[in-house]
Amino acid sequence: MDIVLARRMEVVRASDIRELLKLTSRPSVISFAGGLPAAELFPAAKIAEAARRVLIEHGARALQYSTTEGHPPLRAFVAERMNRLWGTGYANDEVMITTGSQQALDLTGKLLLDDGDEVLCESPTYLGAISAWNVFRPRWVEVPTDDDGMDPTALEQLLDRCRRPKLVYVVPNFQNPSGRTWSFARRRRLADIAKRRGVPVVEDNPYGEVRFEGEHLPAIASLPEAGTVISLGTFSKVFCPGMRLAWVAAERNLLAKLTILKQGADLHTSTLDQMILAEYLASHDLDADIRRVASAYRERRHAMIRALEREMPEGARFSRPQGGLFLWVELPEAVDTRALLADALQHEVAFVPGDSFFPSRGGRNAMRLNFSAMPPDRIEEGIHRLGGMVREALARAHDETLVVA
Amino acid sequence: MEILIDRSSPTPIYLQICQQVRGMIASGALPPGFRLPPERRLAAALGVTRGTVLAAYRELRADALVDARVGRGTSVLAQRFHAQPSPAGDVPWNQLFRAAAARPQDPLVRDLLELSERTDVVSFGIGLPAPELLPVSTLHHLLDEVMAEAGAAALLHSPTEGHTPLRETLAELMAARGIRCGPAEVLVVSGSQQGLDLAARAFIDPGDPVVVEEPSYFGGLQAFRAVQARLLPVPADEEGMRTDVLESLLRRQRPKLIYVLPTFQNPSGHVMGLARRRRLLELAASFQVPVLEDDPYSELRYEGEPLPSLKALDEAGVVLYLSTFSKTLFPGMRVGWLVAPRPVVRQFALIKQSSDLHSSTPGQFLVERFIRRGYWAPFVRASRSAYTARRDAMLEALAAQAPEGMTWRRPEGGFYVWGRLPNGVSMTRLLGAAASAGVTFLPGRPCFIDEPGGEFVRLNFSHPSEERIRDGVRRLAAAIASSTERPRAGTPAPIETRPIV
Repeated sequence: MDIVLARRMEVVRASDIRELLKLTSRPSVISFAGGLPAAELFPAAKIAEAARRVLIEHGARALQYSTTEGHPPLRAFVAERMNRLWGTGYANDEVMITTGSQQALDLTGKLLLDDGDEVLCESPTYLGAISAWNVFRPRWVEVPTDDDGMDPTALEQLLDRCRRPKLVYVVPNFQNPSGRTWSFARRRRLADIAKRRGVPVVEDNPYGEVRFEGEHLPAIASLPEAGTVISLGTFSKVFCPGMRLAWVAAERNLLAKLTILKQGADLHTSTLDQMILAEYLASHDLDADIRRVASAYRERRHAMIRALEREMPEGARFSRPQGGLFLWVELPEAVDTRALLADALQHEVAFVPGDSFFPSRGGRNAMRLNFSAMPPDRIEEGIHRLGGMVREALARAHDETLVVA
Repeated sequence: MEILIDRSSPTPIYLQICQQVRGMIASGALPPGFRLPPERRLAAALGVTRGTVLAAYRELRADALVDARVGRGTSVLAQRFHAQPSPAGDVPWNQLFRAAAARPQDPLVRDLLELSERTDVVSFGIGLPAPELLPVSTLHHLLDEVMAEAGAAALLHSPTEGHTPLRETLAELMAARGIRCGPAEVLVVSGSQQGLDLAARAFIDPGDPVVVEEPSYFGGLQAFRAVQARLLPVPADEEGMRTDVLESLLRRQRPKLIYVLPTFQNPSGHVMGLARRRRLLELAASFQVPVLEDDPYSELRYEGEPLPSLKALDEAGVVLYLSTFSKTLFPGMRVGWLVAPRPVVRQFALIKQSSDLHSSTPGQFLVERFIRRGYWAPFVRASRSAYTARRDAMLEALAAQAPEGMTWRRPEGGFYVWGRLPNGVSMTRLLGAAASAGVTFLPGRPCFIDEPGGEFVRLNFSHPSEERIRDGVRRLAAAIASSTERPRAGTPAPIETRPIV
C-alpha cells in the first residue's frame, strides 16, 4: 500500500554523506569523520563493575520505571557540577536527564519551533542540531562568526529582520565543527542582546569539560547580562556514549513543559543506565578521568596540527582548538571537499565535508577533522594521504583554469 | 485580521482559520476584548461557508481563547498566560512555545510514577511489573558475559535501527507470535512510547485525523495530541473497537492512522474478537489507512484461547506492530520494538536518529542475550502464574469489599481491572479520600476523548503483592463509600445516557 507520510517528512531524508560514511567502519580506514571519543580511553571495566554493584544492590529498582525528570542523585550531581565549573546557579529540580543530548535538542525544538520560525545559529553550526530541528521546518539564520564567536553587530541586524526569532543556538566551547571557543566579551554581548530582544539562548556545551589548554570561561547562562538560557550538557564525551545520558537545565516553568514533552517521547531515560552512572560517579573521580582523556586528546590534536602544517598546501587554514574533539580546515576555494571525499575513501581516509554544517549553503572548500578517535601515528598517516590528494585536486583545478583561459 | 486559506492543504479549512486566529491571539495581535468579525462576514470575505467559520469559532471557544455572547458577537478572552507588557529581558514564553506545546497537558503519569515509589501507599495507579519477578541475578550474570565477550562495544554507540543481533532475535520472537518478518523489518525503540512518538511524527501534520478507540491508552493519545492530531474516537464494546462505526467514519473522513490495542486493551482489558480483527483489516486495506497495533500485553494471558495479532493476520501489509519488554521483562531499560514494512522502518529510523540517535546500547545487549540464552519463555510462564494469582486476589477482594453499585470486568490477561463507580460518587472527592487512605488508582478521564469517563477507574494488579492488593482494595472501598454524594432532595437523579463499555 502507498503510505502517506506527514508533509513535515519532506525534510527528513537520508543524507548521502551518512551513506558514504557507513563504509568507514572498516578498521583499515583512517576515519576523521566520526564524533566519537576514543573507545580505548573509556573505563569499561570500572563501568561494568558499577553496573554489577547496581544490579546486586538495587536490582529491582534499577529495572523499574522511574520518574521522567531523572534519577535524583544524578540531577543533583549535574546541578552541583555545572554551578562549580561554569558558574551557573541551577537548583537540582531545574535539571532533567535526557536520552542523549540529541533528545534535549529534539525536545527544545518541540517546545519552541513552529513552521517558519527563525533559528539563529553560528556559521558553521552543529549538524545534530540542524537535523533535530529541520523536522520543525524553521528558517535558519546563519550569523557571521569569527574565531571569537558570533559577530554581535551582525546578530543585531539579522534580528531586526526576523519575524519570529525563537532561539539563538550556540556551542561556545570547542564548537563542533569549527573547534572555536567564544571570548568572554562575546559571551557577554550575546547574553545582553538576547535578553534585550527577549529571545532565548540554547547553550550547548558537550565538549567544554575536555579542555587541555587554558582556563574554563563562564557559561552564558551564568552571566549577569543573561536572560533566559536553556543549557544542554552530556556525559557521552566523558563517560560512555552508548548509554545515552545527557541533560537539559532551565528555569522551572520551562523544565515543566520539557518534562511533559519527554514523557510523550520516551517516558524516561533508562533507569539502569542512570543508576550505573550515579554509582560510578559516587565511587570515582570524574575529573581525573577527564584529565586522562584530555591529555590523550592534547597529544592527538598536536599530532594533527603538526601533520597539517607539514602536509597542507599554501592557502589552507585550520583552527587550533584548546579542547574538544574537532578541528576545521579551510582549503583554497578551488577545492570541493565533497568531490575530495570520494577520492579520500578510495585511499581509505574519511572526513566530513564542510557543507554539511551549513543549513543553507557554504563550506564547499572546508572539512571537519576529528582528532580524538585515532592514535597519533594513524593521524599522521591519514593527514599525509589527505595532503597529497588536496595538492592533486589543486593541480587539476589549475589545469582546468588554464584550459578555460 | 488577515487570514490566508490554502485550499491545496490537507488541513481542513476551519482548522486553518482556527490556527491562524490562535496564533494572532498568542502573539497579542488580537488583544483581549477584540471582536472577531461576525461569522457571515468572515465567511463571505474568505469565500467559505458560514458553517466552516462556525466550526473554527467553536474550536476557539473550546480552547477558551474566545467567548461568544448573544448580541455581542465573538470576542477574544483575556489569556491566563497572556504576556503582560514585560520589562526588558522577560521572555514571553507562551508566545514562544509552539502551539502544540503551549497547551496544557496532563502531568498524570509523572505524578503516578512518583507515588509508586512510596512504601506507605498501595499503588494501583501505574502499570508496573512485579518487582519480585525482575530477573536481577540472571541479568547480573549476563552482564558479566556481555562485558567479557563484547567489552567496550557494549558501551559505545550502536546503530539507530538497533543492535543487529537483537533485531535478529526479535524477528525470531515474532515468529513465535505468528508474525513472519526479517531483521530489516524490525526497529528497536526506546520503549514503545517512542514508537508512538515516531508514528505520530511520521504520519501526522497539524489537524490530520487519527482514529482511536474510546477509551484508549492515554500515552498514545498524548503522543498524537503533541503533534496536533485531530482524534476521531470510535467506541469499543466487549468485542473491541466497533468496526461498523469505524466503517461509517471511514466513508466520511480520511484518517492518517488507526491506533488500536486489540489484546487486553489499556485501560479496559477488552480483547478484540477474531471477526472484528478481520473486518478491521479489510476496512484498513480498502480505505488504505495504516493500522498501528500496540501490543504490550498479549503474552500475559491468564485464561482462554490466544487470538492471532492483527499483524499475523495482515495480508495487505497495512499493520505497523509495536511491542515492548516494559510490561514483561523490565520497564526501566526502555527497550521496545516496531515491526513494519521496510520503507516505514527506514523513515522511522531517520526520525529516531534526530530524536535520540539510538537506544541504550548496554540495555540492548542484555535483552538480546536474555532471549538468546533461553530465559525468555520460562520467565513469561512464571510471570503469568504470578499475575493470575494477583488478578484473582483483586477480583476476590473486590467481590468482598466493593460498595454496592460498583461494577468491574474480569480481564483474561494484561495488567488491569477496569471498574465503574456507583452512581453519585464524586471523582474529585474520591481522589482526595483515596490519597489520605493511602491508595492510588488511575481515574478513567484521561483515557477518553469525547465521553467524560469520570465514573471509571483503572486498577493495576501486577505490581502490588496479593496481601497489599487486599489491603489496597479495602482502603479504596472505604474511600469510595465516603465519596458518595447523597442526591439532594428535590433534584432528580442524573439521567445516564452513556453506554456501558
